[in-house]
Amino acid sequence: MPAEYALSNVWLGIGVVIALFAIFYYVGWWASRKTASDADFYAAGFSIGPVTNGLGMAATWASLATFLGVIALIQKLQVPFVYLWIQWTISIPLLTLLYGTSLRRMKAFTPASFIRARYGKPSTVVIVCWMTLIMVMYALGQMIGLGQAFELLFGVPYNIGLIVAGVATVGFITMGGMYGASYNAAFQMVVMTIAMVVPMGAIMKAMGSSGWWFPPLAYGDMVPSMLKMIPTFFDMKYDVRWYFALIPAFTLGPVALPHLAMRVFTSSSVKSARWAVVWFALFLGLLFSGTYTAGFAGNFFRATTDRIIEKPDQTLLILNVFYNPALVAAFVMGGALAAGLSTIGGNLMAIAGLIGNDLLGIVAPNMESRKKMRWGYVALAMGGIAAILLAFRPPAFLVTSILWAFGLLATTATPAILLGVWWKEANKLALIISSTICGILYIVISPHVLPSICVGKGLVAALGMSGGMVTVPMSFAMFILLSIAFNRMSALSAYAPTLEDKKVIDRIHGWGEHYEESRYNGITWPLIASVVCIVVMIWGLQPWS
Amino acid sequence: MKEKLYKKEIWLTVVFSVLLILMGHSATIFRLFPGLQQGTFWGFPTQYIAPILLGWFGMAVVCLVMAILCNRFDDEMEEHAASETQRLERVINE
Repeated sequence: MPAEYALSNVWLGIGVVIALFAIFYYVGWWASRKTASDADFYAAGFSIGPVTNGLGMAATWASLATFLGVIALIQKLQVPFVYLWIQWTISIPLLTLLYGTSLRRMKAFTPASFIRARYGKPSTVVIVCWMTLIMVMYALGQMIGLGQAFELLFGVPYNIGLIVAGVATVGFITMGGMYGASYNAAFQMVVMTIAMVVPMGAIMKAMGSSGWWFPPLAYGDMVPSMLKMIPTFFDMKYDVRWYFALIPAFTLGPVALPHLAMRVFTSSSVKSARWAVVWFALFLGLLFSGTYTAGFAGNFFRATTDRIIEKPDQTLLILNVFYNPALVAAFVMGGALAAGLSTIGGNLMAIAGLIGNDLLGIVAPNMESRKKMRWGYVALAMGGIAAILLAFRPPAFLVTSILWAFGLLATTATPAILLGVWWKEANKLALIISSTICGILYIVISPHVLPSICVGKGLVAALGMSGGMVTVPMSFAMFILLSIAFNRMSALSAYAPTLEDKKVIDRIHGWGEHYEESRYNGITWPLIASVVCIVVMIWGLQPWS
Repeated sequence: MKEKLYKKEIWLTVVFSVLLILMGHSATIFRLFPGLQQGTFWGFPTQYIAPILLGWFGMAVVCLVMAILCNRFDDEMEEHAASETQRLERVINE
């Protein structure tokens, strides 16, 4: 691959990468000595404090795309893509509020642990399958990115870059379990924030901005020049429905991402989880604002130098090679690497939890803690190896944008978790039917499978925004209406929530053993929600311009 | 007391859900009311910088208030659950 970006001294890049991996392995080794039970392996012994966890949450959320893909998409869509990215920050606060603290209270390892306690085994299999598919898509995208990053940085063939980066990455993640993933993620967040923000200051200064001292927010003096060159840069471009469509697919999808929820579950207490979220918002806001600056600077650079960037993904790296010393450029690449690794760490831990704990827990429910932990290590390593093998020749359906997969998760898993936590009537069979039917429908109406029956067109359809606006509300409405109907059919009484299922809800909300039937019950508000969902669905079905 | 706590939990959840969504999706407001797309702040068009600031500092402030109020609510719940347990124990002993 001919790279537009090349380090003048490749050994600088190798040095930065080796130094980073040495730290990751040290943390992994240190963490392995602390891991003695399944709770240590999957939830870091429920011991992570607010600041470390806030950094870890932000790192897990920020992926390789923060350094590569986003900037390219800002160049393509300009400011609307910034709006799309801003709303990612809601994910962890919203999931913490809506179910994170409740599930932390029950000491769940993954959201599927709750599904098993609340809905039983068949529903868990359905949800675990969807979540694992999405985690594999996520990890695969990051793994491919890592291989490409090594190819770009060292000029080695993609396959060799993939093997070296993949094996080295899976090694330290498997070694450290959740303790290692948590502390490494916190460190990776510091690295990626410095790599994004500090070199950007030098770039802004070279571009003539007086606000170089604080790149995330102080480049306003470049706006008039930008508007002269690209008058449409700040235009909102799309209609209200486009902005609304961000909610079902991109806000409600990440709420159910297991690797994000697992970060909340590692908190040392329910209260600590909430404080971690405050730090998360501050840290992620800083990194993301740096990304928007990079997107702005990339457009500014193109317009002022008339340079055509053939691979917009590499914009940040090109800017650094152009304006900064080679060592700084190598460190920025290290930051991108850290972003990819923190996400892969979260993805692999989620796959390990879903397979090694939730699925295996169905087959062997009485397995002892240490044995569960050992299976966790096996599942983690196997998940990593599978991601590396898939990345050699990735199947087309798995490399669809991860943004599209968020809509699939919002359709299949979010209603199960949210209604399961907040509504005692949520029915097991209704969950299986609504999750399966609407999930399949989401895939079918996307442009990736049968383009002739696609809802929406262009990027809105490719990213799953138009599809999500149909299937996410449909899934909620179908789940609610079927639950109400099924719970009243004596032939289907086996699927109705039992008293024990309902007690789970009171318990995770903090009521202890003091159960009361009327709490989180009733059908008026769920019916109103269904009507709203149906209206949104009909709106989503209208032709997209 | 039980009823009051239950209502409070629902209200806290609804209010903070709405606030979080507003902080993350404030751009939609500028789209709904195009008249707001005027003026500048720190040199940026308002419709650009306001969503960035709300998505960062606005979100952090909402999360801060959420942490304080929800943690305080947890204390009330724990107090309530403990008093209920004591009451039940007394009834059983009697």
